Amino acid sequence: MYDRQVMDTVTLTIDGRQVTVEKGRTVLQAAIESGIKIPYYCYHPGLGIDGSCRVCIVKIEKMPKLQTSCSTTVTEGMVVHTRTPEVVEARASVFEFLLINHPLDCPVCDKGGECPLQDFSYSFGPNESRMEFPRRVFDGEGVRADVDFGPTLMLNRNRCILCTRCVRFMREIDTDAQINITDRGYGSEIATFQEQGVHSLLSGNLMDVCPVGAITTKDYRFKARPWDNPEAVDTICTLCEKGCNTTAWIKAKPEWAKGPQLIRMTPRLNPDVNGYWMCDIGRFDYHWIEGDHRLQRPLVRSEAGTLEPTDWTNALSKVADKVTAAGGTGALRFFVSAQASLEELFLIGRLGGAFGLPESGVAVGWRQREKPQPKHAKFKIPPTDAPNVNGARVLGFPVKTGSDGTADISAFRAAVEQGRISALYVFDPGPDGYIGDVSWLVEAKRAGRLPLLIVHGVVMTELASVADIVLPGAAWVEKDAAYVNAQGRLQGASRAMAPPGDAQEDWQVFVNVGLALGAGLTYTSSAAVRADLAATLSANEAFAGLTSLAFSRPVTARHWLQASNPSERWKWDFMFQDLPPVKFAGTPRATSPPQTIALREVD
Amino acid sequence: MSFHPLMEYDPGRFHHSERKIADEGAPFVFTPERRAKLDEILTEYPPERKRSAVLAALYLVQEQEGYLTANGMRHVAGILDLTPAEVEDVATYYVMFFKEKVGKYVLQVCRTLSCALNGAERVTESLSEKLGIKVGETDPSGMFTLLEFECLGACDRAPVVMVNNEHWHEHATPESCSKLIDDIKAKGEAALSGCHLKVEK
Repeated sequence: MYDRQVMDTVTLTIDGRQVTVEKGRTVLQAAIESGIKIPYYCYHPGLGIDGSCRVCIVKIEKMPKLQTSCSTTVTEGMVVHTRTPEVVEARASVFEFLLINHPLDCPVCDKGGECPLQDFSYSFGPNESRMEFPRRVFDGEGVRADVDFGPTLMLNRNRCILCTRCVRFMREIDTDAQINITDRGYGSEIATFQEQGVHSLLSGNLMDVCPVGAITTKDYRFKARPWDNPEAVDTICTLCEKGCNTTAWIKAKPEWAKGPQLIRMTPRLNPDVNGYWMCDIGRFDYHWIEGDHRLQRPLVRSEAGTLEPTDWTNALSKVADKVTAAGGTGALRFFVSAQASLEELFLIGRLGGAFGLPESGVAVGWRQREKPQPKHAKFKIPPTDAPNVNGARVLGFPVKTGSDGTADISAFRAAVEQGRISALYVFDPGPDGYIGDVSWLVEAKRAGRLPLLIVHGVVMTELASVADIVLPGAAWVEKDAAYVNAQGRLQGASRAMAPPGDAQEDWQVFVNVGLALGAGLTYTSSAAVRADLAATLSANEAFAGLTSLAFSRPVTARHWLQASNPSERWKWDFMFQDLPPVKFAGTPRATSPPQTIALREVD
Repeated sequence: MSFHPLMEYDPGRFHHSERKIADEGAPFVFTPERRAKLDEILTEYPPERKRSAVLAALYLVQEQEGYLTANGMRHVAGILDLTPAEVEDVATYYVMFFKEKVGKYVLQVCRTLSCALNGAERVTESLSEKLGIKVGETDPSGMFTLLEFECLGACDRAPVVMVNNEHWHEHATPESCSKLIDDIKAKGEAALSGCHLKVEK
């Protein structure tokens, strides 16, 4: 879509500026690409054009009436005006109409602070409303108007401006048109057949496309406002092999406050991977990261047979003792989830090399599950629940897949069940179940066929509960790590927050285990691991970017008050705005902040 | 849905919409004759555009059931490769589709400007009084439903009462309407005359 190689271009004039764009673009797209501000609601770059909101009207010379810029294709020599009095006045009138029935509940609305209706109304709307009569109300006043809209969403019809972005999303991207507009004219409402709600694995995107607070997710409702989340980290999702580009939002709160820090995940535009979208699994399945089942301290099985928390020094010396007792490092075998990143796989390879393990010494497992989606859905969620199967393959691990794409670990399973493995190290940095079915492993351990089981993971799974030693690692938002997705694309997940308690980043755990077991690993950072990995993979062009992978850092505000300070607001408009094309369009422009008020010192 | 396991979700906690949803109705299948008629209509459209027949199909549902039921809309959606939501979208847009059970004779009084100026309100009031029902209601015998309608396009003969979407009763007065009701009660369908164009021919 954003291919810059296209030769066919059209030159037009917008507000006296010569603008050259690809042929076939609309006036609105041309304006967005060249940084000229035109408000819009029904237009969304990922959806078809509708022209229903009318706020993008502009004056085009030689056309008798004002035109909606979103549905007018550019032509050579076109002259467009967006700021003449005629346009400004007409646009303000459209805003006045849009706001006739829009409730003034911005202070309690979830969209408040990141709402295009708010932003554009301030910039382009009339100064005050002339409406003195009561507003039209569906379903009830205020919060009573929030009605059930399926398992993930809530709908507030009073706030809706009928842009039909949600209708088009379901029709064009999900391809199961579950949302419609019932009735007509003044009585039009967004609805689903028989009020059954939206049932789709892409439903979360409806919150993103909604330009007002009409569609909200049950997950994020009332949890935070944009100015409560001053840190946002660009990362990727690792819950399946697609590797969607996402943003993790971190809520700022005092240390004593309860509740999680990671407050939501939103998709980030990447035309080659996920477009503007992400699925509900990636969007909503993050609660385990700060859940009650997270491993926070190393655990060692006591004489009494219970798992007792301990410190790293003790846990690592126990690892060394038990491995020696179980036949030494040469007898150690690894079972790795494909949730592991390239760095971690590389370190496991190094350990295997140092211990002189055979090729079959490492088995790689993952979970495969079909996602129920319409047959022709434009955004497909792959069945493989692992971000790095390709990475393991490239690094030379024996990745075997069955005919249906499942991990084939039958040889390894047979070895365990026949009691031929005396010491097993399981590495599973994903949520419970993502390593695949391990009930047979739990069974074997319970039956005493596996003398030593070390589990290095992030949550207290059934497998961890039968282990002899449990080492706490980091989830994907807690470490800088590289993955290779299903397309063979190298991407990095950034560290957005610290691992909980005593848990360490996984590369560090492997280095420490290596030291305890006499394999001299001397890395001091994940970047060092990546550099070494890049050196070994230098022949492979796909990994040329490994050392220069950009890991984003939280964009910090020293205090949430600073992020909410109006004079800081331009950062939000510029960096985190919810309308992707502007963010994506070309290189960041040198936009100077408007006249800023000096920040008050906040401690 | 099993893939949304972590959503703290208790339907009982949330408010429910006040939107009037369609009556489920009886299980619906077109009668063979109506199905044959729909198939004939479908031949007028290219196979990949068969959704264009949605209005015709909905009229057939209304003919069979008297009004549009949710089951009827689902059946139409299945035949035309639409989702039920898309069918509902169309069905709720057009006022000539009834969304709830109506009487055998639906009296629709025009209330737009020309008719209103010529006393449509008096007509409505007299009909309401005569039948003992309010606008939007059906009388207990299930014979008559009284509705108000927007412009029927017969402003030169205002006020107008339309019966069953096809019969016009023009220059209506409280007296003539009272007579119309009596005639319908006495003669049934025969009391209706189509529209003025037909009468004048």
